[in-house]
Amino acid sequence: MKLIKSIVRPNKVDEVRDALSKLGISGITVTEVRGHGKQKGHTAVYRGKEYNVNLLPKMELEVVVEDNVAEDVIKAIIQAARTGEIGDGRVFVIPIEQSYRIRTGELAV
Amino acid sequence: MSDSQAGTSGAASAPGGPAVPPAAAFDAARHEFRETANAGLAGRAALGRYAERVDAIIRQLFTAALPAAQPVSAIALGGYGRRQLCLYSDIDLLVLFEGPMQPRDEEFLRGFLNPLWDLGVVVGQQVRELADFDTLEVDNPEYLLALVDARPIAGDRSLFERFLTAFHTPAAHAHIVASLTDLMATRHARFNDTVYQLEPDVKESPGGLRDLTAARTIAALTDPSLLTRGPVDVARLDEAEDHLLRIRAVLHVEARRNHNVLTYELQEKTAERLGYPGAHARQRVERMMSDYFRHARTANRSLAWVHTAAPIPVGSNIGRSERGIRFIDPVKAAQQPETWLRLFDAAIEHESVVSDAALATIRQNASRYGAEDFFPHAKARNELLQFLRPRAGLYTQLSEMHECGLLTQMFPEFEAISWRVVRDFYHKYTVDEHTLLTIRNFERLATACPAGRERFGSLVHELAHPELLVLSLLFHDVGKWREDDHASESVRMADQMMTRLRLAPEQRETVQFLIKNHLRMSRVAFHRDTEDPEIVRQFAALLGIEERLKLLCLMTVVDIEAVSPETLTPWKEELLWRLYVDTYNELTLSYADELIDQRQSNLSELLENRPDDLTEVAITGFLEGLPQRYLQLAGRDAIYAHVRLSRNIARDDVHVKLEPKAEGNWELTVVSLDRPYLFSNVCGVISSFGMDILRGHAMTTPGGMVLDMFQFVDRERYLELNPDEGPERFAEVLRGVIGGRQDVTERLRRREAGVLHRAVARHTPMVHFDNQSSRRYTILEINADDALGLLYRISRIISKNGCDVDLVLISTEGRKAIDVFHITRAGAKLSSDTQQALRADLLRMLGGSDEADQEYRSAQQG
Repeated sequence: MKLIKSIVRPNKVDEVRDALSKLGISGITVTEVRGHGKQKGHTAVYRGKEYNVNLLPKMELEVVVEDNVAEDVIKAIIQAARTGEIGDGRVFVIPIEQSYRIRTGELAV
Repeated sequence: MSDSQAGTSGAASAPGGPAVPPAAAFDAARHEFRETANAGLAGRAALGRYAERVDAIIRQLFTAALPAAQPVSAIALGGYGRRQLCLYSDIDLLVLFEGPMQPRDEEFLRGFLNPLWDLGVVVGQQVRELADFDTLEVDNPEYLLALVDARPIAGDRSLFERFLTAFHTPAAHAHIVASLTDLMATRHARFNDTVYQLEPDVKESPGGLRDLTAARTIAALTDPSLLTRGPVDVARLDEAEDHLLRIRAVLHVEARRNHNVLTYELQEKTAERLGYPGAHARQRVERMMSDYFRHARTANRSLAWVHTAAPIPVGSNIGRSERGIRFIDPVKAAQQPETWLRLFDAAIEHESVVSDAALATIRQNASRYGAEDFFPHAKARNELLQFLRPRAGLYTQLSEMHECGLLTQMFPEFEAISWRVVRDFYHKYTVDEHTLLTIRNFERLATACPAGRERFGSLVHELAHPELLVLSLLFHDVGKWREDDHASESVRMADQMMTRLRLAPEQRETVQFLIKNHLRMSRVAFHRDTEDPEIVRQFAALLGIEERLKLLCLMTVVDIEAVSPETLTPWKEELLWRLYVDTYNELTLSYADELIDQRQSNLSELLENRPDDLTEVAITGFLEGLPQRYLQLAGRDAIYAHVRLSRNIARDDVHVKLEPKAEGNWELTVVSLDRPYLFSNVCGVISSFGMDILRGHAMTTPGGMVLDMFQFVDRERYLELNPDEGPERFAEVLRGVIGGRQDVTERLRRREAGVLHRAVARHTPMVHFDNQSSRRYTILEINADDALGLLYRISRIISKNGCDVDLVLISTEGRKAIDVFHITRAGAKLSSDTQQALRADLLRMLGGSDEADQEYRSAQQG
């Protein structure tokens, strides 16, 4: 199993979620996060005063999928979240060693 | 004088005979007083008779004096006003003139008062004119207290009635009750706070006549029914008063002066005069003192009860007591639903609560009235808007109104969401509570801004009408009784309410807009790509003006926060703020690039609805070259008024319109053809009248027509106090200055210099140039401490640097001025050298050392 963790633009969450649901993926964790990659924030001016927006609001999505669908999921996320501009985000793929269901304590993998 | 005359209020004359000379009448009255006092009977009735005899003498002297030049009234004050005049009491009189005194009035006064002094009467006279009662003489508490007992004796009766109206206000009553309480505490302290004095002062001691009068006065000024509900029967209080007065009368007669202490020496004589039985003087004295203490206790207990139970007047039929704000007369209040809101307003203003008794009155009677009954006239409707200003306590009182059933009677639409449960993943409260919480959150942003939200909090203080946001919040979810598109349903329901409240069209449009779009900003911020300039442009076009952006932004923030305590995360705040800033910049920096297009759709509506006196050509001609935002900024009626104002404008013409607005604000519209220093001259004239510019817009068309709109506060109330000639004089000066016939610098110099020297910098001034945001203009933004004449000085420096001001946005946030100028030099954006020079000049001026200041100083030295 793989944990697929993606950082996307906030306005792309709905599209990514739709794309994942088309692949039959329903379990998803969405977290509001702030950070920066290459985009590194920008300088905004409000009433003549400049201020740096270093940490940009982003959304983090986590899904756990079977190895055999991981690639399709990654492609779907990238396709849905892409605008072509700097700041589109990243997708990380992390192998899962073990997974437990808390309610029953049973090992899921 | 015979006994048969006692109690008459006519002239001091013998029956059927000629008028008795005042001296003889006075002697006769005093003689009778002594006789009655010696018989131990000079109580309430006898003192009343004596007062009436003195009245007759005063009337006689008043009539005999040379007539005054104007209506005048002689008024008895204090103990004399209460008809409790003792033999050696001062006679307190108010001589009230209608207007300022003329020489003939002084003659009248001498003719009236001199003979009174000649009689040997100690007169405590106060001379006033009616206008003196416009302000309360707070430094003279004894005088104010004496005025409570005012009683007309002679002269113009209607003048007396007008005095009563001017004097008896809730504020005056509250002040007098507070002063009386202070005086009482000081007086009691002098007697070690005990009634049981071996040699009591029957007037001053605790339980003496002053306490009795104080109890009656406090009740009269707060709640006349208090004494009937107190621990002491009213008849016993009268009896106590009678007893104390009889003792006092003996003391005056025996001591032959204004002496009120029942000393050991005088106790025997007094007991004897009052007819106390007993074989020995000591027995008679003991019996008398025992009665004295009983009566003093009665007076003392009554005062203590009244003191704790009295509601301090805070409005008409509304008082504040220890149990909160309450109706003074609940039966009357039950018939006047339009006054109920004032109860909750007073609770906010006095940081108190509405008493349970008042809430019970409302609960019992609310269902008798329909929504219209609460706001039957413009005053009541205006009071509602004032009530809805975001202040600490607003949420609490609105919740209280909801609890007692008043809110849904006032706004039946709210009933649809009372305890309404909408199940979704986010909301934690019923719809009505969510609604009220949005108002609480707004109130907090305005008063006790949570840490980290200061940027939103500061926007609250920039709003011209924050009460409209509260009204919008109150109705934003009323449509949630339906499952589908609740925003449209909320607008429909709010429309019913706004029709009832007869809101002005522009107020209505604002509320409709906010309710209709209350979810829009969060949708754009969280679900759209706000880095796309087109998305921001569309959002800015929807809003049109910054005021709406600020309102919608705040509405969004408080609405999200009211969903649940966790919903408004710093992450969401950041996204909202970024959208706010981008949209604000779009609205303020690049709006000048978008000019009105004659083909646009909202123009046809404007043309179709035009009044008969305006042609299509006149309207389109006027609009040509004005920025798009003008159509959103000015309502339809305002646009028509501007078109009229611009008619037949010629080279040297200045067309001016001055209108009063709410809360002492005025709106000035100026249409003219562009010329050097025009904007700075208009600002200068406004400031030269001591007026503070709050907000404004100045626009210039490529054709050279200038339209300036200012809202200002008339701090010195020049226009209000001169309703006839003030506005015309203002317009005349404006035309004179713009036409070059008058020098505004001269008018301003003294005021401006005074302000400059007084000013203490709170904010570091900020001057920022932007050559990117607009295609045509350099944008100059200035944030600085607001000061009288600031805009005049800024714009004069811009003009001196050879720059043309084409568009200006003026706003203020508390004491900070936020001004945005769209400027050019020789038709082009400013070069960096020009920017640098202009910046240096502006900063020098904002730092308090500009040319005007220096000119002023050298003039002073020279």
